[in-house]
Amino acid sequence: MVRDLFMFAGFNESSQIVWFKIIYSKEPGSLSSIIDFLEKENAFVMFGHLDNITQKTTGEYSVFIELNKDVDPESFAQRIKELEVVSEVEYGISKYGMIYAMDFPLNVVGVRGVAARALTIVDIIKTFNQNAPHAEGLLTISGLKGGIHSAKYFKSILNLNDSNFASVLAELYRAVGWGILEIECDPATFEGKIIVKDSFIADVYGGSEQPVCAFMSGYFAGYLTEYFGKNISVREVSCKATGKKVCEHIISPAPSGGTSQEYQLRGETR
Amino acid sequence: MIKQPNVILGNEELLVTMGKKGEILGFFYPRRDHAQHVEESVACIHTGEKLLWTNDNDWHCIQNYIEDTNIVSTKLYHDSGIRISILDLVHPDVPVLIRRFKVQSQKKISGKFFYYSNFSVGETSKKNSGFCDTDTRLLVQYWQNYYIGLYSLPEFTEWQIGKAMDTIWWTNSKYDMEDGKLQGNKEDIGNINNAAGWDLELEADGANEFVILIGAASSRRLLYKRIYELSKLPLEYIFEKTREHWVMWLSRKHVLKMPGIEGYDNLRQELFSAYNRALLVLYLLNDREYGSFVAAPEFDSNFEKCGGYGFCWNRDTSEIVLALKHSGYPEYCDTFFKWCIRTQLPDGSWFQRYWLNGDIAPSWGNFDYSTQIDETGSTLYAMDVYYKILEGLKKAEFLEEVWVSILRAAEYLMKRTKSGIHESCMDLWETYYGIFTYTNASIYAGLMGASHLAEENGEIGMARRWKKRAEFIKQATIDRFWLQEGYFAKGVINEKLDKTIDASILGTYVPFGMLSPKDPIERDMIQFMIENIQKKLSIPVNLNYGIKRYENDSYMNGNPWVVTTLWLSEAMFALALDTPYEKAMFASTEEIPDKKEGGHDENMKNLTGEGIKCLKWALAGATSTGLLPEQVDQSTGKPAWAIPLGWSGSLMLDNILLLDKICMRKAGSTKES
Repeated sequence: MVRDLFMFAGFNESSQIVWFKIIYSKEPGSLSSIIDFLEKENAFVMFGHLDNITQKTTGEYSVFIELNKDVDPESFAQRIKELEVVSEVEYGISKYGMIYAMDFPLNVVGVRGVAARALTIVDIIKTFNQNAPHAEGLLTISGLKGGIHSAKYFKSILNLNDSNFASVLAELYRAVGWGILEIECDPATFEGKIIVKDSFIADVYGGSEQPVCAFMSGYFAGYLTEYFGKNISVREVSCKATGKKVCEHIISPAPSGGTSQEYQLRGETR
Repeated sequence: MIKQPNVILGNEELLVTMGKKGEILGFFYPRRDHAQHVEESVACIHTGEKLLWTNDNDWHCIQNYIEDTNIVSTKLYHDSGIRISILDLVHPDVPVLIRRFKVQSQKKISGKFFYYSNFSVGETSKKNSGFCDTDTRLLVQYWQNYYIGLYSLPEFTEWQIGKAMDTIWWTNSKYDMEDGKLQGNKEDIGNINNAAGWDLELEADGANEFVILIGAASSRRLLYKRIYELSKLPLEYIFEKTREHWVMWLSRKHVLKMPGIEGYDNLRQELFSAYNRALLVLYLLNDREYGSFVAAPEFDSNFEKCGGYGFCWNRDTSEIVLALKHSGYPEYCDTFFKWCIRTQLPDGSWFQRYWLNGDIAPSWGNFDYSTQIDETGSTLYAMDVYYKILEGLKKAEFLEEVWVSILRAAEYLMKRTKSGIHESCMDLWETYYGIFTYTNASIYAGLMGASHLAEENGEIGMARRWKKRAEFIKQATIDRFWLQEGYFAKGVINEKLDKTIDASILGTYVPFGMLSPKDPIERDMIQFMIENIQKKLSIPVNLNYGIKRYENDSYMNGNPWVVTTLWLSEAMFALALDTPYEKAMFASTEEIPDKKEGGHDENMKNLTGEGIKCLKWALAGATSTGLLPEQVDQSTGKPAWAIPLGWSGSLMLDNILLLDKICMRKAGSTKES
């Protein structure tokens, strides 16, 4: 998910934000020795990420640290490296204290990701809504592709099944900051609903007469369609942007049969 | 969305543009400018596991025309061992595109062949209606009186009509193909798309063939009839008939001989092909009913990156119809000038650009200060040139027909050139406001032409008055714009002399003949201009140099243009013939004086050699199918922007005809000696 990513809300002129990527040997107590060292040096760890799984004999500890301006990061890194358990140290400085990623580029569900303010994305959505014909459909289809990709990715890296498909999706949403999900979906009937608390779209969109989270509906539809192997309709029936507390998306199997009236009367499915 | 074609085909009512992989980019019916009915139209293969779009990056392609025709062959190769041969042709008399797909695979495939289309009938995605007639196996989409239909042999076994861009995404035909089967919805409305499907059962190295007919008509009944009649004919018969149509049309051309050019590798054959291709392209850009031409098939219909090209400019078309006349097709002049009479504005000028039916087109030249006076000059000039080559009764009839138009246009030019140079207007590149060398030269030629026509019409007073003004313009242009550096300034912009060198100053010689090589001083001026343009506007691309429009040109990264490069070579060839441009273009080889002094021969050889380099450069910048673009990308050497550009095609014709005369004259001299 989003790893090695740190966002700073403010900027302290007397300190500096420095990240360190520390490779250490996986022996009992080795990580503790690193943490002890940092504590003794009054290094304020603002954010850390620990990878103790990827490599067999070594671990990777990535930390963002607030150091006093007068501390030289290079000599600090050198001192970390001198610890017996440490084999390698990389460091970097976030000069303006805004955003820094140790690994570039970011990786989100198996492909390149970017960090953006919610408003940046919502501005795009608003521009579509205000100018593009079929904006709702266009956003649905855009979201659909993302959802399909995510489900494909999770199917490839873990055993996605009826017991976890919903929680994986919820965790993903939380990790990327899109919203907090409560999912009820019956894999037997393909019916259910998704409550989105703090949807990033509805939160910053401002007031609207119409639901504005078509992109998310599309995303959910893509994810569930790919997982179930069956076309799933997801439609937003209430939206925070219209004054409701949360956003609610209804899940149902997509109508099929081609010539049936239900298939054609779009009003019925809205 | 910018959609630059690699190939075009069609007939009098239908113009189809396609990408390198045979995907349809434009489907214009019944005119070349309107309406464009297709957003996407492309074949896909479902291998049984996944969907392969034939226009995606995994396919390698080879595309070319069947020689001397507008029939297209596209071959696609997929890394998985699938090979598709597509043969595309438009029936010469019926607006139906016939597409034969031959699918082969090295491995066994048990899947589907799909043909997906997103039609926007009537050039709108709104309020369309689509249905699948399961009795006749026709997929039809319509809007008002535009009907587009798809039929196939063998008949498709699956279909879908769905919403192209809607929240009910599962009806979308594009997505419906993903699982390898279509839902079979029979009708829908709004922004819709469709897909047809066939079983694809291929043994290793086996082949399947699918013939798809995409037709256009003004009513459902006519559409059914057209497709039904065509579907009864064997494809081989239609192919032969279509091939014969193009070969017959080309058989009317002025025959080239090009003796003595064998020294240039394969150039003779390349020029013969380029000559034929330019003629075949211009046929497709012309509206038979109105006589107008699109500058290029529209590829930026939303004006996202430019003002669009799918309209008729008098400047471009005047050059095109004269080039066609020189090539053996005089009828285009006749119908175009009839169109001009009809489209002339009340003040006697012509508008920036028009729809092909003569309605004024979207424009940024709606005022006197923003109009392009050169278009009126060019039109008058072209009318006079055409008059000069007519004979007998036709001459008198033509003059009678155009006289009022000539009178009004000439008086417009008089009104706007009282000081000897024109009043401020927009330049030919549609970028600057001011007073321009090129525009003055075009007005000179227009008034000289008008004067000649007045004289022929017995209006001696008018003839004298217009000629006097033309000579005044010539003198004023030379006095004010000729620079001691040896070229004309671009003009006056923001009330200051703009010394930027601009390839369009060649217009003083070619085509407008304001400067004549018969005058030793003017000959030197022409020679200096050519040298300075070569020196200052050359950009090395494709192992040679192309000519950009002017210094600091920023339009589309300031690429070199085929137009300006062939303009330069045309001036070189005309000068090599040591004859006023008009005479060089019109006179037969025997009529062109043959100077034999050593110095002249050497100069002629140099000019011809340099001109040939430009020609070769233009040929190298064409598409794989030989279409000449407007520009050549300076970093990749590939065709850029408007493809094919009619103006580039007409200049290619003029160049080849002039080179032919040079070769003939040289051969004649050799024979005599």
